[in-house]
Amino acid sequence: MEPTLILRIFEDGLFAAIASIGFSSISNTPRRAYLCCGVTAAVGHAIRFILMEPGLAGMGIIWASTIAAFVIGILGVLLAPTVKCPAEVCLCPALLPMIPGMYAYRAVAATISCLSATDEPAFNHYLYLLNYNGMTCVFVIIGMVVAVNLPVFMMKRISFQATR
Amino acid sequence: MKNPTTSRLDFLGEYAAWLLGCGATCIRIEKNINRMARAFGVDAGVAIMPRHIEIYARSPHGDLALPVVIRQAPHCGLNFTVNTRLSRLSWEVADGKIGYDEAVSRFAEITAAPPTPRNEVLLLASMANASFCRLFGGDLTAVLVVFVATLAGFKLKQMMMADRRDIRLVFLCCAFFSAAICAGAHIFEWGSTPEIALGTSVLYLIPGVPYINSVSDLLACHYLCAFSRFVDALVLTACLSVGLCAGMYLLGLRMF
Repeated sequence: MEPTLILRIFEDGLFAAIASIGFSSISNTPRRAYLCCGVTAAVGHAIRFILMEPGLAGMGIIWASTIAAFVIGILGVLLAPTVKCPAEVCLCPALLPMIPGMYAYRAVAATISCLSATDEPAFNHYLYLLNYNGMTCVFVIIGMVVAVNLPVFMMKRISFQATR
Repeated sequence: MKNPTTSRLDFLGEYAAWLLGCGATCIRIEKNINRMARAFGVDAGVAIMPRHIEIYARSPHGDLALPVVIRQAPHCGLNFTVNTRLSRLSWEVADGKIGYDEAVSRFAEITAAPPTPRNEVLLLASMANASFCRLFGGDLTAVLVVFVATLAGFKLKQMMMADRRDIRLVFLCCAFFSAAICAGAHIFEWGSTPEIALGTSVLYLIPGVPYINSVSDLLACHYLCAFSRFVDALVLTACLSVGLCAGMYLLGLRMF
């Protein structure tokens, strides 16, 4: 693996960790769980980066996000007992940096452009953009939220005894 | 004077309402209530509605009329610290480490605890959104613009929430404020990725946890709560989208 690629993966993980810690503070997460959220987010986001990198796995954003979210779910459940917090505390903020924000933004922008289009080709073009960005955004979110919740139900014993 | 079963049911009702209010999933509320009820020697059940909790006791022989406790979830907002401490309290009761009286006083202490300091949240949330911008490929200028836009928008959110304004209006105004700041940077052509700054400017408002919780409730077959949480999150997302569009329109920005 090239050094620049390793640096990019590290950078991706680092910014995901900062984003995760910041978003966890909005939900009044206990301070001792910040590190856990950061590590989980960094690993999850770095995995998605590797899965999407054309030279490596080259997967699409939907499957890459789903797999990364599943890993976040497993890590969140396994790390929860170490900080004595419910599994959701570790995995919810860690998942947030993977929200497909730019797809959502472009879908909203395409909707507005679609409604204000004055001719058919322009309308069709914006409708295409709305469908592409909107569908990608929706399926990424569905894949992520389902995948992150599965480990909680698969490992109920650990998930619900973490605060014991 | 209340009989012991009634006062325990009252306590379980308050406890469950707080768990629901602070954003715990339905499966967690059920498990916590069941283990505490067992420890109190009460054969209780719980019905979870989107805004209310109903706790009922089952009579061993079915020959005794026992009360039903209905409590409304407090508007305390998402609070993982309260969720964590209440979950731990349920285990302490279940493991016999504390009794009913101690549990009641511990519960009062947990619900009265102050939230994370506002300035700490403000700074961390702004840094988080700026990092988000970098993750989407924004340059340094875009990162700085998003940091300032989030700082301003989040401060407005804190002020409006303290003023007890409607949450939908809060989301709309904050999204508008943050988007307008980033749209200004777009107009003055600061940096090479102003579109990314604009798209990221409102992401600190995305109700991610309610979306995740709604799927958790769906998997646990709590369809009513799942649907309610999903619609709540959808309404807030729609409000922030309207705020974003309004900010862009006001400054006459072309979308594509």
